[in-house]
Amino acid sequence: MEKIRVEDLTFSYDKERNAVEAVSFAIEEGSYTTIIGHNGSGKSTIAKLLIGLLDKDQGHIYVDGEELTMDTLYDIRDKVGIVFQNPDNQFIGATVADDIAFGLENHQVASEYMQEIIDRYAQKVGMSKYMQSEPTKLSGGQKQRVAIAGVLAMTPEIIIFDESTSMLDPQGKAEINELIQEIHKESSITIISITHDIEEVAKSDHVIVMDGGHVVMQGLPDDILLKEEQLIALQLDIPFALKFTNALKKAHIEIAPCTTLERAVEEVCQLRSKM
Amino acid sequence: MSITFKNVAHTYNEGSPFSYAALKNINLNIPEGKVTAVIGETGSGKTTLVQHLNALLLPSEGELEVLGKNIVAKEKPKNLKALRKQVGLVFQFPEYQLFEETIAKDIAFGPKNFGASEEEALEVVKKVINVVGLDESYLERSPFDLSGGQKRRIAIAGILAMDPGVLVLDEPTAGLDPQGAKDMMELFLRMNREFHKTVLIVTHDMEHVLHYCDEVIVVKDGQIEKQCDVKEFFRSVALLKELRINPPAIIRLREELIAQGFHIASSILDLDELAQAVAKEVRSHE
Repeated sequence: MEKIRVEDLTFSYDKERNAVEAVSFAIEEGSYTTIIGHNGSGKSTIAKLLIGLLDKDQGHIYVDGEELTMDTLYDIRDKVGIVFQNPDNQFIGATVADDIAFGLENHQVASEYMQEIIDRYAQKVGMSKYMQSEPTKLSGGQKQRVAIAGVLAMTPEIIIFDESTSMLDPQGKAEINELIQEIHKESSITIISITHDIEEVAKSDHVIVMDGGHVVMQGLPDDILLKEEQLIALQLDIPFALKFTNALKKAHIEIAPCTTLERAVEEVCQLRSKM
Repeated sequence: MSITFKNVAHTYNEGSPFSYAALKNINLNIPEGKVTAVIGETGSGKTTLVQHLNALLLPSEGELEVLGKNIVAKEKPKNLKALRKQVGLVFQFPEYQLFEETIAKDIAFGPKNFGASEEEALEVVKKVINVVGLDESYLERSPFDLSGGQKRRIAIAGILAMDPGVLVLDEPTAGLDPQGAKDMMELFLRMNREFHKTVLIVTHDMEHVLHYCDEVIVVKDGQIEKQCDVKEFFRSVALLKELRINPPAIIRLREELIAQGFHIASSILDLDELAQAVAKEVRSHE
């Protein structure tokens, strides 16, 4: 089932240049979509338009078939959560528990239910031990986990991750990526991840490629990530696995191009046993 | 002349209940004329270590020698100005420190502080703006109208304008997109190869360490865990595991192939060489 449909969406910050221009795409319920593109290509603007933080100049956004307008904004916002890039800019509470409670309080959840909800989501993201910790005592990865708990507590149907791991150290990155994969596997939440991580893209269900405010390619990661020339022209990375299968071809080995290392290793093992 | 640490320790808030020993007994010799990576987990002491190089932080114990100048614990440092001109330190997210109305003024701030005349400063500004990959058309614009990556270039140009012999960069590619990060690393490599500057880069990115650096210093719990050249460092997968470092893709692939029974030398760090080795083995089964 289609969860989100975007039609002919256009937006400009300064009325001189469109940050997003005539963008259309559809996202399936429960799917994991990645959006890639170099800085300034319009990715984050799309995220802000989807949650109604920015108001479109033209076009339509539909969530569950309902159009996002001033009248439906609050209903739709209840369905969509977002986790931003900088962990320091989204920690609002004085403690971890307060931070997770923030959204619940805004939604006037009765206090007798609140503690249970906070506990459940703190546990879900592995932060139960830190309930009374102040944000300054937490690592970047831990802060992002708290942000995710706060979003999950609102039981959203869609979560947008806007480069949520790009300011984290490798350990923080790995933790958050794992948590996102887990949410994707265990729930029917539709996930949209704005990312530069080609390995994450390779694992997603659908990828949207942006450049200069336009959607320039979209489809299955296995198809998109093999379009080497286009990706390079867009200043994007190509998968390391593809560089490897290309190098093998150069060494006169007939091998199918691959987008993941797992697949590439499987392929060469097969070649060896066949010969 | 080089950079030497002798028994250096650094304790924050010494003598208070919040005192924290960030560096312990550091002995280190940083080679001149190379690109050296400083790596380690968050909180290991990397930033504290590099902030000693221009005496922004002073040692609590021990002493260091930087380009012939001595900095000794509990002694008032001499020749600070000369040292700060020779060692250019670029902080994390340096774009937050831009402050002037125009890019030209921002870049000229350092040289003027060190006594350059208006004309001399402008000369330098024109030179470094090109070095960081922008051009003179930017000079009269506000630094705040630029993209994040461009702002960072301006901040780095401000440091280059002082023509330091040693360039210290604390996580210079954090938050940049892959292309921006690559351009940035190539800039530092060029500063080393072409302008012969000693470059120190604090980083978490092992691909950058492998492709752009000559030497590695590993900091762990405030101490130097290891110092060696990059090729040697990436040969020992056991060490990487012990240090909880996710190896570069080429090494992950190499190790996976070895685990699958391929006979591949663990010194291989080049993709074409790896492909040749695999090709040879596949053919030998023909």
